[in-house]
Amino acid sequence: MRTSFRPPASAGLRPKKQVPHNVKTSRRAAWIFAPSLLVSFVFVYVFIGVTVYISLSNWKIGTSPNLSLREPFGGTYGEIIQEQRFQADIRNVVIFTVIFLVLAILGGLVAALFIHHVAVGKGLFRTVFLLPYALSFIVTGVAWRWIFSPSTGVNQILRNLGIENPPGWTTDTTVLGALNDPTGTDFLKVQFGIPVALLPIIFAAGWQLVGFAMAMYLAGLASIPEEHLEAASVDGANTWQRLRHIVLPQLWPSTITCFVLLLHVALKIFDLVVAMSGSGPGFVTDVPGIYIYNYLSSRYDKASAMAIILLLLTLAVIVPYLIRGYRRERKA
Amino acid sequence: MRSSNKLKVSLAATAVASLIAVTGCAANQPAGSAGGGTDKLEITSWWTSGSEADALNVLIDGVKKSSSGLSVDNAAVSGGGGANARQALAARLQAGSPPDSWQLHPAGQLKSYVDGGQVADLTDLWTQNNWAAQMPKDVAEAQQVGGKYYTVPIGVHRGNVLWTNPAVLSKANVTIDSATGVDGLIGSLKQVQAADVTPVCLGDKDIFASAELLESIIMSRTGADNWKKLFTGGYSFDSPEVKQALEDYKTILSLSNKDHSAITWDEAAKKMANGSCAVNLMGDWAYGELLNAGKKPGTDFSWVTFPGKEDVFDYVGDGFSIPAKNIPHADAANAWLKTLMDPKIQTEFAAKKGSIPALTTADISKLSPYQQEAAKSFAKASVVSSLAHAQASTAEFAQTYADAVSTLNGSGNVSAFVASMTQAQKTQLK
Repeated sequence: MRTSFRPPASAGLRPKKQVPHNVKTSRRAAWIFAPSLLVSFVFVYVFIGVTVYISLSNWKIGTSPNLSLREPFGGTYGEIIQEQRFQADIRNVVIFTVIFLVLAILGGLVAALFIHHVAVGKGLFRTVFLLPYALSFIVTGVAWRWIFSPSTGVNQILRNLGIENPPGWTTDTTVLGALNDPTGTDFLKVQFGIPVALLPIIFAAGWQLVGFAMAMYLAGLASIPEEHLEAASVDGANTWQRLRHIVLPQLWPSTITCFVLLLHVALKIFDLVVAMSGSGPGFVTDVPGIYIYNYLSSRYDKASAMAIILLLLTLAVIVPYLIRGYRRERKA
Repeated sequence: MRSSNKLKVSLAATAVASLIAVTGCAANQPAGSAGGGTDKLEITSWWTSGSEADALNVLIDGVKKSSSGLSVDNAAVSGGGGANARQALAARLQAGSPPDSWQLHPAGQLKSYVDGGQVADLTDLWTQNNWAAQMPKDVAEAQQVGGKYYTVPIGVHRGNVLWTNPAVLSKANVTIDSATGVDGLIGSLKQVQAADVTPVCLGDKDIFASAELLESIIMSRTGADNWKKLFTGGYSFDSPEVKQALEDYKTILSLSNKDHSAITWDEAAKKMANGSCAVNLMGDWAYGELLNAGKKPGTDFSWVTFPGKEDVFDYVGDGFSIPAKNIPHADAANAWLKTLMDPKIQTEFAAKKGSIPALTTADISKLSPYQQEAAKSFAKASVVSSLAHAQASTAEFAQTYADAVSTLNGSGNVSAFVASMTQAQKTQLK
């Protein structure tokens, strides 16, 4: 596609009828894309606009709309950022996203390298790693809830091994590496740090999405030309050097794709948390998705404001990525 | 470069496609939304657990008997003490495709549906059948908003019941007496702890279980009249009695199973009956749940009213309303409401559900000892509405309360709880 938009520096060499042909194709392309552009405009951008408006309105009960603007302007945002629950949600979603991405992407890379190099049972391992991804979060969430149940689950095994005080898993309210000590009536009402209760949920999510990252990396690995690796071997590069200087750089596009696709899984996480722990004591495992759900019927404006904040969080990461990709494309 | 870009695009496209395929984009199709005859009836509720589903079937069989050839679509949604079902209903009401009838709590919760213009005025039906004369005044009043009836009551539940395990208590040589108040209860629970048994079973994965425990303690400390005034602004959450109740709550929480936030209310009730702990506070829907689990009342478990300074009945009512607009099957919905108000059906329903009939004309002599006791208490106790079940006030106020309880469970910070509730009293009670 891109070649057709280049300035016709070499056009003189080509037969003249080629240019109208290209114009015709791009016109046809515009017609083909028009319906989907229109649909995505209405269902994405118009709806975002409506949600922004609702978040600024007085609409409380979900089923009886009140579209008058709230005084003072944006009061709902001012209200929710002071809430302990909101602050806990933002902390949780940031911690969840960071650890989950690292876990799933590294896990996927290791699994892909392992399967790519293993001599026997490639198909078997691939299936084993991919299988969890095919299941619903609700299904795996229920199983993980039983596994991490403090009184039964995995703690039963730990107790049999002689560990007297096994972890409380999702019931633990400890915050690791807390940066502040809130009294509960100041503006900052939560401890910012890593909530221990979130770790089993991050682990479960990581376990489920490792197969997805692995599939991405396997495709990336398959596209690395064998000659590059052979040439490096001839030049005396060892396994680590080949991985570090040839394989990993060429997997970078796969990493970026994984990052973007897994990021929105992390930011929108809802079902897994609902099945595993719910909001948790003091909202240690609450996430924006549950917040929105809880307030849908009693405070439509608050639920909408949270949805917009969630959107802004996503944009904060995605927009720099898009800008970078756009610049690179223009350079090429 | 170009080939790796193409690869990137195709990879991304495959991934997006597979994500869409796996996460599923199927829309929720409301069932039974066509036609206007009496052949079909769709009802929604949050009755999905064993005993609840059995009780609901009594009603469904009843309406099928009264209108032959009727097929009933039971669109129950489980979880969250009804919160999930209400979400599903809200979406359908907004879309203009309501079920023929839905379950709801009276008073505060009913009011939000009336304010939204979503429930039909049933005053004519009430006067024609003279229902008001067949039930206690408190129950009849809770079915009204602004003097008009909008719902019919199928049963009365009590929220503040303390379920006990007689074997565990006698082993620890402890008795629990409602007359000794909250202080007496805490003393008894500490004795149980001294005997190396977990005193309290709690299952608050769904926060309503904690919210209900706390409200039982608050109404025990404040008494019924002040509890009611909390929702009119006539009494503050910043009062010594409420603060004392919050301290009591923290003590009782410290005497509970450590994994309370990981288990559900029914799991906690069964744990108590299995002897893992001495007591469990839960509404009397736990009675039916325990019977269903094969537990024998009197031997496997017993009960007392939650100890307090007076006999308070924490009323959690179940009723059904019909939509004001777009009702799919009006005749069947009418037959349904009349079936619910049949004394025989109410008795049969109560036997399965563990509640007491709303109609005093219903025969209670065949009900369980617990229910007969509850029915007698209902007649003489001070009746108040539950906040944990969004009956005492609006959905917004109830959600603020639930959030404040969650926060308190994590931090133990009483002043933060009081601050957010007094703020809610100022801004939300209009």
